[in-house]
Amino acid sequence: MSSVFDARRAMSIARKETWHIRRDPVTLIVSLGLPVLLVLFFGFAINFDVKSVDLLVADGDHSRISRELIEVVSASGYFNVRRAASAAAAADALGAEKGKAALIIETGFGRELRAGKPVEAQVLLDGADNSNAGIVSSYLASAEGAVRARLTGASAPPVTLRTRFLFNPELDSHWFVVPGIFVIVVGLISSLLTALTVAREWENGSMEILLSTPVRPLEIIAGKLAPYMALSFAAIMLVYGLARLVFGVPFLGSHLIFALATLLFLAATMSQGLVISVVTRQQQLAFQTAMNTGMMPIQLLSGFIFPIESMPALFQWITMILPARWYMILTRSLFLRAPDFSMLLGPLSALMGLTAVFMLIAWRMFKTDLEP
Amino acid sequence: MSGPWAVEVDDLSVRFGDFTAVDAVSFKVSPGEIFGFLGANGAGKTTTIRVLCGLLVPSSGKVRVAGLDAADGLMAIKRKVGYMSQRFTLYDSMTVGENLSFAAALRKMPGDVLARRTRELFDTIGFDQPVTMFVRDLAGGYKQELSLATAMLHDPEVVFLDEPTAGVAPAARARFWRLIRKIAASGKTVFVTTHYMDEAEQCGRIALMRAGKLIALDEPGALKTRAFPEPLVEIEAGPGAPEEWIQDVRRDAAVLALKPHGLRWHASVADAAGVERLVKALGSFATVKPITPSLEDVFIRLVEGADR
Repeated sequence: MSSVFDARRAMSIARKETWHIRRDPVTLIVSLGLPVLLVLFFGFAINFDVKSVDLLVADGDHSRISRELIEVVSASGYFNVRRAASAAAAADALGAEKGKAALIIETGFGRELRAGKPVEAQVLLDGADNSNAGIVSSYLASAEGAVRARLTGASAPPVTLRTRFLFNPELDSHWFVVPGIFVIVVGLISSLLTALTVAREWENGSMEILLSTPVRPLEIIAGKLAPYMALSFAAIMLVYGLARLVFGVPFLGSHLIFALATLLFLAATMSQGLVISVVTRQQQLAFQTAMNTGMMPIQLLSGFIFPIESMPALFQWITMILPARWYMILTRSLFLRAPDFSMLLGPLSALMGLTAVFMLIAWRMFKTDLEP
Repeated sequence: MSGPWAVEVDDLSVRFGDFTAVDAVSFKVSPGEIFGFLGANGAGKTTTIRVLCGLLVPSSGKVRVAGLDAADGLMAIKRKVGYMSQRFTLYDSMTVGENLSFAAALRKMPGDVLARRTRELFDTIGFDQPVTMFVRDLAGGYKQELSLATAMLHDPEVVFLDEPTAGVAPAARARFWRLIRKIAASGKTVFVTTHYMDEAEQCGRIALMRAGKLIALDEPGALKTRAFPEPLVEIEAGPGAPEEWIQDVRRDAAVLALKPHGLRWHASVADAAGVERLVKALGSFATVKPITPSLEDVFIRLVEGADR
């Protein structure tokens, strides 16, 4: 396809971009330093672990059995048990945000239980704190099994709930968060880098001269993409080292596939950035567009925090056009499990498809005429 | 006909939506000519040049540059023309040598050809700055010279220079124009736009554009005699001039137009007899001497004529 693409011309563009990058400390700092800094910062800051939840206990029964229940709950290590004088006092304390949950045991709890009647203890949760509420309620539910075993003694078969968390047995949220953060950080920065590059040439007028030579859009696109890919790949290697060494995240998958996935992800986000650049032709506008399309959707829809499976179908479809969504799956499984290649084929080909689509759009939208 | 023209423009129009930037313009430029393109900002000069460089597709009409037209492909045209745009467009963070090498690589010029052309061009231009110097450190005049060298690296037949001397010091402007003459003398066609009248005087022919239309096209001298067929005199009043003398001049039936030029006045007079009468009437306190109109006078008149 020599009428569309000439590798030597693309190379000369790439060489020129390399000169720019090497001599622009801002680009270097933003592309290499910022990901490291952000991953460190957010890696420590974001923590999904629920520990030491303030639990208000109102024991209206004061029986041996109610004391046992409270002991089991407090022995779990997840709660800071604090006494409340009454059920009403516990509810008030929740309202005043003096606790996240309350356990209320009514008078007669022990007597009814000994009489063999079904009994209930009430759990109040601060629903305003949605993310904690879910975790607390599941902790308490699992405590229920343990309580039953202790309280009913030998008269009933002891029921114990054993939950074993696969792939992240420590339930260390760093393992989960760090690979996710780096997808978000690198994804945003890489699309930003390329979003600015074509717009910059339009803005300072050098695009006009570039286009007055026989250079073709695809050569410009490829030539601009390659050096920035290399740069962001280096950033990912730095962040990978950080995840392993500083946060102690294991890596169980194949490094080769990780490299392939990373290249595909960078190609996809960067060609997305190029689309923005080609269309806006202004750095300021390109920057804003890249931030707006990159920041919120990636954070909220990539599956970083909110599971994609629990989104409405329409949004699940929307997430499919986000390269970060696919790379998120790839990194998390490559870090934390040792997946079969067949399991990764889907996300890998999705990234490949997205790259192709964005490249095609950037190429087609690339105007070679200078109509204002 | 496909004569030996360097540039042929036939009924060219460029429209952007409702706006007509270039309106049915036709002209021809011969090889080796210095062709001046004048007009106010927004008159359609840059748009025309962009069409000729293959950067813009015309809405209608035909252009032929260096013997090639749209049927030969824009790429073919781009190989034969050099373009130096209005804005300074070299890369600041690259050296002189890197900028040239990049331009050469885009045109797939082998290294030895680049080295030879660079030597030739630097000799012609008299560019003596080190190639390892960063472009951002060059003085304005040198930047323009390097831009020109970059535009001419591939030995184009036609060079388009869009306001090449805007914002350049007078001495550097004069140097640059010596260069333009040198290039034209070597057989290249130079197509240049400018706002400076002294530069326009140095063109072989001048095309004047006004609101997308070509309103005049001729040699500078011919334009002057056409715009001012009647005599033009400059009047400078000395001390002792009566208070109302200029009103008397204005009332003179032979004086067709009177315009202040600094402290002097330019009057176009109906005929030689009218000039004689003026000399007689004002001779005691003012000097009245015949002058050739400046191009500025010519353009003011031509533009006013086009507006009427």
